[in-house]
Amino acid sequence: MNRLYTSLEPRVIDDGMLKLAVGEQRPQEEAGKLAKQEGILFKDVLSLQLDFRNILRIDNLWQFENLKKLQLNNNIIEKIEGLENLTHLVWLDLSFNNIETIEGLDTLVNLEDLSLFNNCISNIDSLDALIKLQVLSLGNNQIDNMMNIIYLRRFRCLRTLSLSGNPISEVEDYKMFICAYLPDLVYLDFRRIDDHTKEVAEAKHHYSIEELKHRENLMQAQMEEEQARREELEKHKTAFVEHLNGSFLFDSMYAEDSEGNKLSSLPGVSELLESLTYRDKFVIICVNIFEYGLKHQEKRKTELDTFSECVHEAIQENQEQGKRKIAKFEEKHLMSLSAIREEVEMPNIEKMILECSTDISELFDALMTLEMQLVEQLEETINMFERNIVHLVGLFIKNVQSLYPFCDDLLCTMAQCRDLENHHHEKLLEISISTLEKAVKGNLDKDLSEDVRGLFVDKNTIVNAVGASHDIHLLKIDNREDELVTRINSWCTRLVDKIRRDEIMRNRKRVKEISLYIDHMKSELDNLEYSDILD
Amino acid sequence: MEVLREKVEEEEEAEREEAAERAEWARTEKMMRPVEVRKEETTLTQEMLRDLEKKLSEIRIPVSVEVPAFTKDTIDISMLPVSYKTNTPKEEQLLQLADNFSRQYSHLCPDRVPLFLHPLNECEVPKFVSTTLRPTLMPYPELYNWDSCAQFVSDFLTMVPLPDPLKPPLHLYSSSTVLKYQKGNCFDFSTLLCSMLIGSGYDAYCVNGYGSQDLCHMDLTREVCPLTVKPKETIKREEKVLPKKYTIRPPRDLCSRFEQEQEMKRQQEIRAREEKRLKEEEERLMEAEKANPDALHGLRVHSWVLVLSGKREVPENFFIDPFTARSYSTQDEHFLGIESLWNHKNYWINMQDCWNCCKDLIFDLGDPVRWEYMLLGTDKPELFLTEDDSGINNEDDVENLDKEDEDKSFDMPHSWVEQIEISPEAFETRCPNGKKVIQYKRAKLEKWAPYLNHNGLVSRLTTYEDLECTNILEIKEWYRNREDMLELRHINKTTALKTDYFKPGHPRALRVHSYKSMQPEMDRVIEFYETARVDGLIKREETPRTMTEYYRGRSDFLSYRHVDFGPRVKKLTLSSAESNPRPVVKITERFFRNPAKPAEEDVAERVFLVAEERIQLRYHCREDHITASKREFLRRSEVDSEGNKIIVTPDMCITFEVEPMEHTKKLLYQYETLMHLKKEEKLSRRQVWESELEVLEILKLLKEEEEVHTLTISIYDTKRNEKSKEYREAMERMMHEEHLRQVETQLDYLAPFLVQLPPGEKLTRWQAVRLKDECLSDFKQRLINKANLIQARFEKETQELQKKQQWYQENQVTLTPEDEDLYLSYCSQAMFRIRILEQRLNRHKELAPLKYLALEEKLHKDPRLGELLKMFT
Repeated sequence: MNRLYTSLEPRVIDDGMLKLAVGEQRPQEEAGKLAKQEGILFKDVLSLQLDFRNILRIDNLWQFENLKKLQLNNNIIEKIEGLENLTHLVWLDLSFNNIETIEGLDTLVNLEDLSLFNNCISNIDSLDALIKLQVLSLGNNQIDNMMNIIYLRRFRCLRTLSLSGNPISEVEDYKMFICAYLPDLVYLDFRRIDDHTKEVAEAKHHYSIEELKHRENLMQAQMEEEQARREELEKHKTAFVEHLNGSFLFDSMYAEDSEGNKLSSLPGVSELLESLTYRDKFVIICVNIFEYGLKHQEKRKTELDTFSECVHEAIQENQEQGKRKIAKFEEKHLMSLSAIREEVEMPNIEKMILECSTDISELFDALMTLEMQLVEQLEETINMFERNIVHLVGLFIKNVQSLYPFCDDLLCTMAQCRDLENHHHEKLLEISISTLEKAVKGNLDKDLSEDVRGLFVDKNTIVNAVGASHDIHLLKIDNREDELVTRINSWCTRLVDKIRRDEIMRNRKRVKEISLYIDHMKSELDNLEYSDILD
Repeated sequence: MEVLREKVEEEEEAEREEAAERAEWARTEKMMRPVEVRKEETTLTQEMLRDLEKKLSEIRIPVSVEVPAFTKDTIDISMLPVSYKTNTPKEEQLLQLADNFSRQYSHLCPDRVPLFLHPLNECEVPKFVSTTLRPTLMPYPELYNWDSCAQFVSDFLTMVPLPDPLKPPLHLYSSSTVLKYQKGNCFDFSTLLCSMLIGSGYDAYCVNGYGSQDLCHMDLTREVCPLTVKPKETIKREEKVLPKKYTIRPPRDLCSRFEQEQEMKRQQEIRAREEKRLKEEEERLMEAEKANPDALHGLRVHSWVLVLSGKREVPENFFIDPFTARSYSTQDEHFLGIESLWNHKNYWINMQDCWNCCKDLIFDLGDPVRWEYMLLGTDKPELFLTEDDSGINNEDDVENLDKEDEDKSFDMPHSWVEQIEISPEAFETRCPNGKKVIQYKRAKLEKWAPYLNHNGLVSRLTTYEDLECTNILEIKEWYRNREDMLELRHINKTTALKTDYFKPGHPRALRVHSYKSMQPEMDRVIEFYETARVDGLIKREETPRTMTEYYRGRSDFLSYRHVDFGPRVKKLTLSSAESNPRPVVKITERFFRNPAKPAEEDVAERVFLVAEERIQLRYHCREDHITASKREFLRRSEVDSEGNKIIVTPDMCITFEVEPMEHTKKLLYQYETLMHLKKEEKLSRRQVWESELEVLEILKLLKEEEEVHTLTISIYDTKRNEKSKEYREAMERMMHEEHLRQVETQLDYLAPFLVQLPPGEKLTRWQAVRLKDECLSDFKQRLINKANLIQARFEKETQELQKKQQWYQENQVTLTPEDEDLYLSYCSQAMFRIRILEQRLNRHKELAPLKYLALEEKLHKDPRLGELLKMFT
């Protein structure tokens, strides 16, 4: 609480205050007159000064989208707020206020200079977003923990720091500590750090810094690894075959299957599960599907790349033609315009103006023809691409579902998964029934748990149990398959839609551009006409 | 030809057995018969042999008796070594062998001309041609390859035509003599070139044959100068891009195909007519250029060099004409036939028919049917050559020369010619007197040695319009070692355009300067080495009314500036061009795209219409757009005569924006832009003015350089670099003086006395004292002797003078004035001598005790005596 509430009433930033401030700070002299004449829009303002105004609360600043420098020093602000929209801010001065915590700065990624001098801050944090920070002024605050310095290590651009007037600056080791832990720092408390101090500091804190660095490196490596894994998964997802390169599907089949788990404790069933005949085969199929999916993804990608490259080339070519036409026209147009200006005879002028306007409309026709031609050509190409991509997707789905197995000895279809499951189901049923028979005869194994024993009451129960397990398994497989199919189909439709939409947007933009240009040309000609008539 | 070879073997045998006559009869007998007859050898009768002998004696080896090109009396043979004046026994043997061979040959082929085997050398001694070749590897790296070697030979020697163009010369001088006099005929040329080529590892041969008239007379007037031939542009083969899967289809062609075809046909007809006309024209020209037919075509003797493939990575056989240093394919029509060829090991006769020039010849010297060799041992086994053999030969042929020769039954004797030597001066001067002129078809090439011309000119190529070389078309001059780095000057006579090319290093970073006159404000183009300039200027073009500059790599992305000047305003006061610059009418500036700015704010072109007071801006085009924003400022209204406030009005600025934006519509924005532009305009005008100044300065600099033209001299050039020469001489002088001083200090006074003592023993004290005394007394004696000597001379001189005076007084009356004069001059000289002697004597008297003391002192300090003497004193 550096400043007491004085006789002046605390204020909130409002429209009136802003208008006043903007008006005061506009450019001087002729330019100022002009500015006054037409008024200044808040979003054109680049720098704003709001000091000594007894402001308590920051508000109403959202209009200043392009603001680069904001001064709010010497107020009684208690909380940093309302600055979210000022993303272009480079320079922010909040010194001599009553701020207690650093907050609300997460969107100001361009900030380079931040001053929080003479506030009541006790902890440095919430500055993670300010990656470009170069100057940080935190003098005359309540910071008392050295660990805050370590937090500042993440700002690679930080060159100037002021912390004097804080409790930590009283600590004996203060300067050495900072020099050691922030080796890129150039100015500390408005003084240049000389090389000698740096060396001494580094020697002093050598070991702890090494350790810190090691920890940081470890963290970094871990994060990178995580990132890589995420990317990998993302890649699989775009191929719609994520989690198929292992036993995930198989495991998930048994995850919610209580009966199946119970049954697996039956003698012979575990062998059935573990042996190469079922589980391994299942995994192999999954992996095959996975690889097949990746392969197809590659195919689709090359297809898409070729397509976009060709379209890009076509558009470029078309643009070049358009530019050439315009350049040619402009050359001629300029000549005729100056000729008109030179001319004195009224009828001649009219004739020339007429010529000019025909030229303009000719240009319009030529440009529009070019555009229409391109639209037709692109339409054709897009249709072709759509056909191809749909065909590719269809082929992939078909092969995965194996409606038409394209290759007998390769195990890579969902249908094969199902076959396997069916096969397994039959075997399981067999074993169950034989166990039931044994149970009926009363020579069931002693070591079976009560749960399992409960199943072998009559034939219906056991058949139902086995059936339920089988159903769950099939359901899982079906779900996975459905997911794959729906996702790939929706991807396909979205892609084609996007391409078409982009093309339409492009066409509209071009047409708009052409008509704007033609309009401008025409109006220019008209102006000339009028001025001539006036003359 | 098998037969012949065996015969040669036998012949050699016979030679050795000294049974020449009989064997020869027998051999010649055999020679006449074909192979079948050979078996009936024994049946030959004595009569037949006699008959043959008679026949043989009738055969005469014709010997040409022509005067050599440069006659014997011009050559100083007294300095030549013995090998030039006599023949060794082995050489004699070889000559006999050659004679034999020659006789056989003329018998077998009576209709062919006699062989060129052993012409006389400069000392009138017959020498076999192969021994005249002296394979030498030159110490200059430039002379390692055949083309530079040939160029050197052709430059270095002056061509002397053969005494008789239809016969080989009677004399063939050694290469050393030829090099000394820098003159020679084609045989001298090819001998020298062949020696050098074999020395540097080529498989080269001297050829005696027939050449065209142009070739024999070193007449290049029908040849196109190689320097004028433009390098053929390599035709880039358009890579056909495979149409990609989604390449858009071209719009449908709505033109009538029939009409197109008709059009094409018409075009083709026109073209064909044009071509025909051109061809006719060309033929006509060719006809005009064609020379009169040569009456002696195919008879003119010429000598050139043949290089066979295989060694030194030569891919195929070719000829080198030593006169012009040009290489020809073996099929060239200038070469009309080959009689024989030889290298340093052997001699081959061509047995192939030359009816079709040299086009059908096969240069397989191992084939005895086509090439008849002379020596068996050094046969070139080309037919049986295996891969690795040739590989080995390639590498160390030169070193192996002697070794190879040793194992052969009869080897070619070593060359009688002295080592070929070319001094560095001669090598640099090249042409005789450092000057050479070659006349080509419609071109003349002049060459000079470097530093010969004071302006650094080394060669000049003059191209003419017509065959008679009267109308100059263009001149190209090459310079070397110029301080201003001028490399080439190209003068086009028809347009009067001069173009100077500079090497990197000009103080103003000039690269090319083309101009018509050195006056400022005229048509000129100056190109610069832009990396050497701070402002990144590449090129500046000027016409009387405009100036265009091209830039690259500037931080403000300026790429082009074009200035239009108005007519100079006449001022009342007389002023020079600097103080009265031409008024600028228009400045156009273009900029590269600045990637840091968005396209609609990045100016692409800026035009300051100074006279109309307008500024036009054109912005860069955005990537997905075809139109670019434009802005035009009219300043008509706002210029206040008093320079007061400027009133901005909305109609001052005409704007077209591709994507209209809010803030740019504001007057404020426009005002600020305008203010900025005004500042920029001022800056641009200043830069234009600076550019003009720079041009003036460059012109001044060039003029100065042209007048002074200093040449740079490499610091490694010990001969020309005056400074280093002076320095070196000074160093040498110092060294010499130093040496003298050292010798003096090393003079040992004690040496003659120490010698008397037994060596290797330490001196005793007694000995040391004696030594010292001896030395001193000796020195004293010397001093006394010297004094006596001077005294004696003095006395003698005085006596003579007295005698003369007496004589004069006695005969004074009868003396003629001349005698009197003589006497008087004698007197004065004698007096002078006496005075000098007197002075010397006095000086000696003064110095002698000092010298004596100094020696004593020295002896005391002498390390050998010092110790002992100290003890003594």
